[in-house]
Amino acid sequence: MKRRDFILATGVAAGALMLPRMSFAAEGVIDVYFTSDQNVIDFWTNTVKPKFEAANAGITLNLVDGGDSAGVSAIADRALAALAGGSDPQADLFEGFDSRVTVDGIAKGLYVDFEKAGLSNYSKINPLAFDIPTNLPYRGSQVLLAYDTTKLDPANVPKTWADLVAWIKANPGQFIYNRPNKGGSGGNFVRRAIFEANGNDPTKFSVDNYTAEAGDAMLNPAWAILNDLAPSLFDGGAYTSGNTQSIQLLSQSAVTMIPAWSDQTLSAIAQGALPETTGLVQLQDLGLPGGFTKLAVLSNGANKDAALKLADFLLTEEIQSAVLTELGGYPGVSWDNISAELREKFADIIPTTIPTFPGGDWEKAVNDGWYRAVAPNVDPAS
Amino acid sequence: MTAPDQIGSVTPVRRRPYGLLLVATPVLLVAWLVIWPIISAVIQTAFVTTPDGGSAVSLETYSFFFSDGYSLSNLSMTLWTTGVCAALLLVVCLPIALYLRFSDSKVAAYVQGLAIFPMFVPSIILSFAFIRVLGPNGTVDLLLNSVGLPHIRSPYLTPWGPVIGLVWDNIPLTVLILLSGLGNVSNQAVEAARDVGAGKLALLWHIILPRISNSILVAISFAVLGIFSAFTLPYILGPAAPEMMGPFMQRTFRELLEPKTAITQAVVTFGFCIVFGLFYVRSVAKNRAA
Repeated sequence: MKRRDFILATGVAAGALMLPRMSFAAEGVIDVYFTSDQNVIDFWTNTVKPKFEAANAGITLNLVDGGDSAGVSAIADRALAALAGGSDPQADLFEGFDSRVTVDGIAKGLYVDFEKAGLSNYSKINPLAFDIPTNLPYRGSQVLLAYDTTKLDPANVPKTWADLVAWIKANPGQFIYNRPNKGGSGGNFVRRAIFEANGNDPTKFSVDNYTAEAGDAMLNPAWAILNDLAPSLFDGGAYTSGNTQSIQLLSQSAVTMIPAWSDQTLSAIAQGALPETTGLVQLQDLGLPGGFTKLAVLSNGANKDAALKLADFLLTEEIQSAVLTELGGYPGVSWDNISAELREKFADIIPTTIPTFPGGDWEKAVNDGWYRAVAPNVDPAS
Repeated sequence: MTAPDQIGSVTPVRRRPYGLLLVATPVLLVAWLVIWPIISAVIQTAFVTTPDGGSAVSLETYSFFFSDGYSLSNLSMTLWTTGVCAALLLVVCLPIALYLRFSDSKVAAYVQGLAIFPMFVPSIILSFAFIRVLGPNGTVDLLLNSVGLPHIRSPYLTPWGPVIGLVWDNIPLTVLILLSGLGNVSNQAVEAARDVGAGKLALLWHIILPRISNSILVAISFAVLGIFSAFTLPYILGPAAPEMMGPFMQRTFRELLEPKTAITQAVVTFGFCIVFGLFYVRSVAKNRAA
């Protein structure tokens, strides 16, 4: 064989190997796509998957990290196309997903309506958590303030927004929050400031009441509050680019207090990323917002029935307790459905209400407005 | 000089277009994945949807970009970062490359290994390591503190954060290109200059630099192209505002859900990058001709 022919033949063979392999969803393998962070996927890998597979012989879980909501929503768009073509979407369940994101998805029946799905544990869900029938809330999380008890005595920790502002100003450089679009801890701190500027009334904001005028009227005062805080923040007004970076600054003792997700902070303490001396506090006048994480089940998935079984399994006491103890989140079910022992242990952080802020246009306005109105007021070279 | 090439004069063989076929794949890929998206991006941004549903040619998105103070400050931030990085890279890498070229010692091998090392460190890991080392209360602070010196003002979350990260990240490529350029400087030329009494600086200025100017241009255009559209390092280490174009485009596209604005930003970014791309192409062409 001539050298040239050899090269050609090898090239063709290598090219053939690289062709995308045809794949089909396997029977009995539930494809779960995640938008959540690694700690949640770890929780599924170490807790949900072994327990569910032990209880349901013949069914296995395939856990796929979808990156973020944009990544999973692309898979949802393909599932919608598969629904129209009657083919296999190769996906069954989306974790941390809002089924509204898929344009026309709900109207075309892409997602299972959980009210009609007959889940045996459906009635246990926390009434605060309900959203729309195609979103199934299964765990919650809220932003709290995490602080260093070696530098701030828990007895003097601020418990209202006004106290918090006074504390930040009295201790310049000791507080930092992350950019509102780069992780919910800073995002929900900003949303708390927005509530503060609007009479602490979360009901003023809904998914469909955004207008440019309302946005200006309701958000601009919040930007004023945040701009007023800026000079007293870490480095005269720096903002970290994610939840993890804020936690890193707290662990390096560079700041004394940060807003942080309850679950992320609890697991950071458990893993030693944050010291045992980390304190947690929630504002009492109106808590920092948070929300429930929802999942959606595809109506055209090859393993729809198994996926519904999994969804029901997630709401059992076994998994919901594990959400508290292993993941550090809040249960998606009402607290009555959690063992009394755990209820007592976590009494301090059981929220009576979790303020929530709508997504969609309001979220977009916050993300754009904060960057234009709050972030640049800092001279980065100062 | 060797004898004139004989191969061309033997009896012509049947020429199969294998060579062209081998090149065809990359060329088609470039046309499909690079050239076409550029054309389609420019077309998309040049049309706006009119209220009645039709579309009209308009440069509205560009006039918004160039009249919006926020966008412009992001652009000038990107230019500043790129410029500072390019200058620093040259200052850092040229001495390393010169040392590696002219040193015969065993240490040189280790220095080379060290200079290439950043190539194997993913930028996300570099970013978090940076916060640990140069961040507030990081390793550098602890070391300074232990000998009684005051804290440094951390470059983390300031424009200098991405600059330091990007320079470190781009050292390997720049050193390698400069080193290959220095291969063109013959020992005889250097020795001849030394024999007639040229000092070290004169040697660098009159003998070495003229021979590697092409490599410097190539190294700088490669670095600039990478830095201009950098994402991870400015995203994690940089200030919230002004942003560099990479994070700015991503945020506009994914979080503000304004694809057209994001594409406009991309076309503007591309416009700046193409200038450096042309430098590179020109110097390659010059090399070929020489």
